[in-house]
Amino acid sequence: MEDPDSLNQLSLPALPPATSARIIPLPKSALATASVGTRLPAVAPGSKLAAITALNKLRPTLWYALQFPQLADCPQPRQQKILNELAALALAVSATVSFHPLALVCEIRSSLNYFGGIDAIHDKLKQSITLHLVESGLPDSFLYAASPTVTGSLLLARSGHNAVVYRKDNLRSALGQLPTSVLELNKEQNRRLYNMGVRHLRDIWRLPGDGLRKRFGSEFINLLHKAVGTAPEPTLNYLPPPAFVTCYDLPFEIENLDRLLPVTDEMLAQLCDFLRRRDLSTSQLLFSLLHEKRASTPVSIGLRQPSRSREHLLMLLETHFTHLSIPAPVTAVRLEVKKFDACMSHSDALLLADNSISSSSSSSSSSSSSSSSSSSSSSSSSSCNNYNDSHLNQFIEQLQARLGEHHVKRITSVAEHCPEYACEHLDYTEATTPGNHRTSRNHPVALNPRPLWLLVDPLQLIVKAGKLYHRKPVTIVHGPERIETHWWSGHDVRRDYYIARESTGSRLWIYREKTGARNWYLHGFFA
Amino acid sequence: MIISRDSSQDLNPSTNTAYSDIARVSHPQGEGRGKGHIEHLLHTNPHLWRGCNLAGQGSHGRSTGFPQLDAILPGQGWPTKGLMEIVSPYWGMGELQLLIPLMRSIVELGQWILWISPPYLLYAPALVQAGINTEQVLVVRLDTSCKDALWSMEKALQTETCGLVLAWQNWLPSKVLRRLQLAADTGNTLGVIFKHHDSKHSPSPIRLQIKDSPHATGFNEAEITLVKARGNFRPLSTQLNLYQHFQQPA
Repeated sequence: MEDPDSLNQLSLPALPPATSARIIPLPKSALATASVGTRLPAVAPGSKLAAITALNKLRPTLWYALQFPQLADCPQPRQQKILNELAALALAVSATVSFHPLALVCEIRSSLNYFGGIDAIHDKLKQSITLHLVESGLPDSFLYAASPTVTGSLLLARSGHNAVVYRKDNLRSALGQLPTSVLELNKEQNRRLYNMGVRHLRDIWRLPGDGLRKRFGSEFINLLHKAVGTAPEPTLNYLPPPAFVTCYDLPFEIENLDRLLPVTDEMLAQLCDFLRRRDLSTSQLLFSLLHEKRASTPVSIGLRQPSRSREHLLMLLETHFTHLSIPAPVTAVRLEVKKFDACMSHSDALLLADNSISSSSSSSSSSSSSSSSSSSSSSSSSSCNNYNDSHLNQFIEQLQARLGEHHVKRITSVAEHCPEYACEHLDYTEATTPGNHRTSRNHPVALNPRPLWLLVDPLQLIVKAGKLYHRKPVTIVHGPERIETHWWSGHDVRRDYYIARESTGSRLWIYREKTGARNWYLHGFFA
Repeated sequence: MIISRDSSQDLNPSTNTAYSDIARVSHPQGEGRGKGHIEHLLHTNPHLWRGCNLAGQGSHGRSTGFPQLDAILPGQGWPTKGLMEIVSPYWGMGELQLLIPLMRSIVELGQWILWISPPYLLYAPALVQAGINTEQVLVVRLDTSCKDALWSMEKALQTETCGLVLAWQNWLPSKVLRRLQLAADTGNTLGVIFKHHDSKHSPSPIRLQIKDSPHATGFNEAEITLVKARGNFRPLSTQLNLYQHFQQPA
């Protein structure tokens, strides 16, 4: 790019003709100000803008903009995804990467000395970025520019000049050569600028600010101010996704897992600190116990409700350790977080003290009068439900850790006439997922008595000399209740149910098939 | 005469027998003017019990829902915490019906009921019919090992969110029972163990036996014997109509 002040300008090669660029060292004065910039200037309180400009003067910045025009064809979610991935790559050269439409901007002034100039940075970035673009199936070219302001860099990059402007003093003249199309105004504004005879940005510089604001709005003026560095430029910065991996090499081999607990406690403390700082919680952890010359033993901890409580995690780990057998002594422990969740802390009730008083009064009054205690206990039951929840979850997680996921069940009744299908045993996690609220209260159940115990497979009863036998003789007390047809499940049901009593005193629920062999079966106990 | 002792002292067998003899001999005396007040003081404190027959006295228990049963239980109801054994020679004799009113009140308090490896499938419609919200019912499956089941029971008894823990274990050593008793005391929870056979030397404070009623032929009747209760010297029994919520079979 042609620039009158070529001493401070460096024109990097455009990408298609890939030739290496010449590096022009920074002018002495700029270096001097850069070293001064480490100290904060004394700023008069009250004038924020003045402080920003003063800071900018003392601590020059250099923003390296990368423009990806090929992303315009992608749908929005994919665009964001690719920009995210590219931002992760750009973190290799800069600590601050911000998102802009179809572009990324990284701050490279602070890393200029480390990498040995902008050319080295550009080469480093270009390699990884082109590779990534090819992998995502996009054209591997991109536009770039660097200047002391974010907007300035973006405008320069958009024009396709691939220019570098080091000093803010030169920015105005460098931007002046750009056509007005880089401002990406709407059609009407473009037409108006054209009619005013404005073709390049330098024509705008000459126009009075007040008049422009009136005609084109304050956003337009703001953009220009940002471009030349007289207005602050807030940016949306890229935050890398959190990751937590820590490893501890034990000073000696440990065979007893209980000895490992202090070490893991320390690691969990680190983890919880990390989570607290980031305002996160976790729902899936992986401990790996490393052995010498053997595959490591994984201990996966899953939580039903995300948590960052060290005591709770340690307790779960302890439960896992109790029935874990290790093939060899442990030499190191590794902790990795598999899943991060937002931290949802429960707020305590405002009137906590009041609540405890009411519950204690209800317990004391229960001895004297039953009517008053029932009313107060019903009011306090809703509040203690909330309190119970977290404790209960911890308890159930502990049960699941020891017994296995599928060994703790919840039961619900289902609106079905056929006894086998009227009750469902669900996994605890399955039953509490949203959209699966098949609560018992919503389902009417049969009016006739149903037994508390049901046999999974009905047991055939013996008929001897016209009498029914289970273990002892059975006499029918009540019945029949006919339950019929379930053909849609492929399992035909035609039964007459009776309530019966065995001579031992057991109350049975028996039925006789209406079709086929007309056998008698035991289906449940009225326990 | 009234003899009051701290319940922690009852571990000493020699004093136990001595006190009980005195109590029996001197029971008819001791009518006084301040009796009502003293009676009230004695009955409201569960740690204080008299050497005589305590059945039906005091009111520190939770009502069973069966007046006849309340009358023979110390504290006029189920204990609020601790361990209880229910002996039922066969399943299906109404052993769960005994606890249905208790379960209902526990669910209303917002506490949970944990069923640890029940012998058959727990049938939700029956619970709903009995007025128990199944959302607060948790079941540990039958195929868990005995060790794991006992571990879960201990943990559940220690947790205050569980109001009632039910387990089906036929034979447990007294060491285990004492441990469960301690857990139940720390968690303020009531644990119930169902078994087929009565063991004479079990340390559980309350042991109930359910029997088929010998003279009543009705479907609903059952005989409940209080085999052992802290504070009672001889077994008491009563007839109960267990299947209250059933409509009378024709």
